[in-house]
Amino acid sequence: MEITFTLNGTTRSISVQPHETMLSVLRGLGMKSVRFGSDTGETGASAVLIDGRLINTDILLAAQADGHQITTVEAFNAAELDAVQTAFMATGALQSGYSVPAMILGTHALVAKNPNPTEAEVRDLLSGILDRETAYVKPVEAIMRAAALLRGDKTEPFAPAIIEPLTDGHTPVVVRPDDQAPDFSLAVPRVVLSPDVPEMSVVGKPEIKVDAIKLVKGNPAFTDDFDMHDMLIAKVLRSPHAHARIVDIDDSRARALPGVHAVLHYKNTPRVKYASGGQSYPNPHPHDQVSFDNKVRHVGDRVAAVAADTADIAEEAIRLIDVTYEPLPAVFDEREALIPGAPVIHDEADTEGIKDRDRNIVHHIEANRGDVDHALASADRVFEQTFRVHQVQSTPIEPHISIAWLDSDERMVVRTATQVPFHTRRMLAPLIGMTVKDIRIIKPRIGGGFGAKQEMLIEDIPAHLAIATRRPVKLELTREEEFVSSRTRHPQTLTFKTGVNADGTLVAQSLRVIGNTGPYGSHAFTVQVVTGLRALTSYNCPNKRFDCDVVYTNIPVPGAYRGYGAPQGEFALEAHMEDIAHEMGFEPLEFKRKNWVKLGDELDIAPHLGERAVAEGELDEYPRVTSCGVEECVAQASRAIGWHRHTDPDWRQPADRPNIRRGIGFAFCMHGTAIPFLDMGGCSIKLNDDGSFNMLIGATDLGTGADTVIGQIAAEVLGVRLEDIKVYSSDTDMTPFDTGAYASSTTYISGTAAKIAAEAVRKRLKERGARLLGVDEPCTVELRDGRAWAPDGSSVSLEEIALDSLHIEDQEQIMGTGSYFSPECPAPFGAQFAEIEVDVDTGQVTVVKLVMAVDCGVAINPITASGQVEGGLAQALGYAHCEEYALDDNGRMLNAELGPYKIYRADEMPDIEVYLVQTMEDSGPFGAKAVAEIPMDGVVPSIRNAILNATGVAMNELPFTPERVWQALRSEA
Amino acid sequence: MPSIVAYHRPTRLDEAVNLLIESNRLVLAGGTAAVPRARADGLNAVEFVDLQALGLDRIDNAEGRVTLGAMVRLGDMADSDSVGSLPARLARRELPSIMRDQATIGGTVAEASPDSVLLAGLLVHDARVEFHDHTSLPLALVLDDGPGDKIIVAVDIDPTGDGAISATGRTPADVPIVAAVARSTTSGIRVALTGVAAAPIEVDPSDPTADLMPTSDFRGSSDYRLELAETLVRRAVGEVS
Repeated sequence: MEITFTLNGTTRSISVQPHETMLSVLRGLGMKSVRFGSDTGETGASAVLIDGRLINTDILLAAQADGHQITTVEAFNAAELDAVQTAFMATGALQSGYSVPAMILGTHALVAKNPNPTEAEVRDLLSGILDRETAYVKPVEAIMRAAALLRGDKTEPFAPAIIEPLTDGHTPVVVRPDDQAPDFSLAVPRVVLSPDVPEMSVVGKPEIKVDAIKLVKGNPAFTDDFDMHDMLIAKVLRSPHAHARIVDIDDSRARALPGVHAVLHYKNTPRVKYASGGQSYPNPHPHDQVSFDNKVRHVGDRVAAVAADTADIAEEAIRLIDVTYEPLPAVFDEREALIPGAPVIHDEADTEGIKDRDRNIVHHIEANRGDVDHALASADRVFEQTFRVHQVQSTPIEPHISIAWLDSDERMVVRTATQVPFHTRRMLAPLIGMTVKDIRIIKPRIGGGFGAKQEMLIEDIPAHLAIATRRPVKLELTREEEFVSSRTRHPQTLTFKTGVNADGTLVAQSLRVIGNTGPYGSHAFTVQVVTGLRALTSYNCPNKRFDCDVVYTNIPVPGAYRGYGAPQGEFALEAHMEDIAHEMGFEPLEFKRKNWVKLGDELDIAPHLGERAVAEGELDEYPRVTSCGVEECVAQASRAIGWHRHTDPDWRQPADRPNIRRGIGFAFCMHGTAIPFLDMGGCSIKLNDDGSFNMLIGATDLGTGADTVIGQIAAEVLGVRLEDIKVYSSDTDMTPFDTGAYASSTTYISGTAAKIAAEAVRKRLKERGARLLGVDEPCTVELRDGRAWAPDGSSVSLEEIALDSLHIEDQEQIMGTGSYFSPECPAPFGAQFAEIEVDVDTGQVTVVKLVMAVDCGVAINPITASGQVEGGLAQALGYAHCEEYALDDNGRMLNAELGPYKIYRADEMPDIEVYLVQTMEDSGPFGAKAVAEIPMDGVVPSIRNAILNATGVAMNELPFTPERVWQALRSEA
Repeated sequence: MPSIVAYHRPTRLDEAVNLLIESNRLVLAGGTAAVPRARADGLNAVEFVDLQALGLDRIDNAEGRVTLGAMVRLGDMADSDSVGSLPARLARRELPSIMRDQATIGGTVAEASPDSVLLAGLLVHDARVEFHDHTSLPLALVLDDGPGDKIIVAVDIDPTGDGAISATGRTPADVPIVAAVARSTTSGIRVALTGVAAAPIEVDPSDPTADLMPTSDFRGSSDYRLELAETLVRRAVGEVS
């Protein structure tokens, strides 16, 4: 049918199919700012203005738009940025930027209706656009600022607030009740400077992200934003059974369908074993997957894949594949999977490395220091508690998507939304029968990852299909597929046993974990190792034991998710420590403080865990805490939350609201920075004619700001502005190797690689500069402000040096390379507080405020760093409070949509306040440590401890949903 | 193959009625529910009859009542000064911003979601559903039986009276597990509940859970929902009393 509409002021008449959505039509017309997030209108990523209203185009038939006026963000893309785009850039409201075009359009619509919107109205606008990255903190600020700019109001530059320290860096202080935290907008990062950190030119500054312009303009940037000629669309047939053998597949009807070009399944695809977790070589065993198997092990597991001319034909072909299943008994709970007689998930002969196949035990992990049993026997008090944590998903708004094709040299090229391009290249090669050198992985911008994309999850499917069809093939997961076939956080059952002396000193601590890895090992080993690591290194104790079984079940597959095992362990640990303190009559924060690790303390069980674990006795020296700002964190955050109120009975039980109890909870947080002896990143930098630099890095920016931060590090070394560093990242043909974006490693590892490369370039610039300046000793030349300076104050520009070196004398390309891996894993620290209210009649918990103060060393960019903390807190909030996988008795997910699953919206977020407490970490680039994952660690236990403070009820199972809390309150009563 | 095989946009009501005689043709209002459902269903070919050109998007006041055209967007209702404060508040509570600007009052009635706080509000505001053939029925009957083969053209409510909502959800803006909506009228207090029956239901404020047998799901068991109903009705009634 023919429709006519106005698109960005131009009348368009086109032919559409009745079932076509406006999303697909607009993208076909080149409006790549309009993006897919779901088929249900839930994400808002596809929203455009229709007759001035913000409308979701993923649920709007193109025919419905006939006769209407449509505006996309491309309409605002003049050479100069408009006020809204400028505000989003200035405030750091962009992380991945995937849904930012919708936010910008919404801002225009809101301000057109109401030039002076309140924050509540802004939050209401944003309620329709889900964001997993920012906690909406900075987008709210951006919209308020944009409205002010559009009104013509004067605005101050958006910059961090410098907060006076409250401690000497080490000594605890008690914050007086009348001591109020400074009052700034919540979006403003609060930075507490350290005297150990020198003033720098670019590092530590709120630089605008290097990819900001393309994101605010909605320019083509993501995997799906580049059109390929003759591209086929792939769809995957997925298992309806939690556990079944595939007796037969008949694909004849699908193959006969016009427009179908390939149908792949276990009968016609090589059986090559692999493990999908994106990890360094060699991938941990077991290698328990193949591209297409003759057995399915969870609802949503792969059965077959089709490549066809259109998505409609591919979907129809999927329906025409006849599969004969032999359903098998299934098991979902990790404790039941261990019981003799439980269904055996992996009974095939060709999977090696399963610890105990018949009992579904994938791995058994043990680590010891000291003699736990002896110490427990002699301790004054012994406490034992069991905790259960559930399954959740990171739900990036951009689903997994890959496009694969054979280039003119017949090499396989895969453009894909991945956190691990180099691992993907290596892991893909054997599956498709090609060599590493014949595969190129390109990572464009990514619409969020959070660990879900630390996986070679789907790339083999379009690659197989591209080989079969000799045409480009695209596979993009639907939102439901994202839920049932992507990766999730591991459920676990955790049992702590702790011995404590009467004075509150820990003498023994053991942790028994049963980890649920679903049907595939993926990240099973390493995630549970991190659980043990994080749960057992935070507190000093001479005797420790970690004992873990990781088991197979038939739930959707767990894998990597921001925090990577730490949130589970830290929940149990901080809850356990809280309860011990209460039992023994100690003030919990003081009890924890007495025992938590401090500057110089050993990280005592760390070397005994992980891929490179060593036994006690094989180690000369334990790693130690090399920088620690936790006391300043506690002081700042406790002041900001109003910690003194937690002991005030009148506040906790407000007289005018008889059903409400209030509480504040605290959690001590400690994480790691990268994986020592394993993570490695590379960088190369070359000088251009105009004195600018191209920097190539393998590091993978997921929206985190990694490209910006690494660029700042190089700019600081080279004495130039950030804008003079042109960053290109993550293309396995073009950039140096990097293990990828995970383990809070990028700033520390890849940033140090950039620093090394820049130092090599700097050395040569100084040598050439010295020659031009007539200086005998190049080491006396300084680089700053884009120039090389002699001691006498004369200078030459880097452009002059570049032109000289490239064109005039002793021509050479000034360039440098660097790579870095670390033997160290410096710990970031944090203090997390949560204020909550509990409705004791209904069990509903309302989170009022979250405050986190983080010692991440030197925040290279305080705006992106605080954005990382805000986003992490919001994801952790969902983990604690509302998100969960609901499976029926047959393993089918009941809530595979973002609404029923429940992602927090902008109009219901608690206040979030972030402090960045500087310390100087000497091993990190310009003092930096990690920041991306630690905000996942303390929210859950602080909310749990706040509920305890409010009601006296200890919640030892997640999430804290109303009925669960109500049941606990009734049990307590 | 695609399940949406044709699209019609009648400009007169009688044209729409004639189009909808065919059994595979469905009314398309805002499309927030109908479009994703039809696109996900690969088996049944449907044709949509879009009501957007019928002029059913007016809000009219007459004789103390408000008539909401079936195609009035919930966003417009939320911003309206004439629909009554509680209905406006519930329209805002019903959906997040963008969906609210797409969904219509007629579509909301036809969907009859058991969790709809807006429908609960309309029940206590004495809503009647008007059809193309100039007949009308109380909303409660339409929620029970559906509109059948009739086209909803308007919803008529009494906008007067103070109202209150008391709800419990996982988060503040979550679709409530159970919600109680109360309105004081000259003849007493009317109360409706969500989350306890197949559709929102008006209940006796003095015995709100009589004969209710809610279905359990992952957000709340049947027993819990009954407990919530008692508590939330008490609160909502207390607020408007």
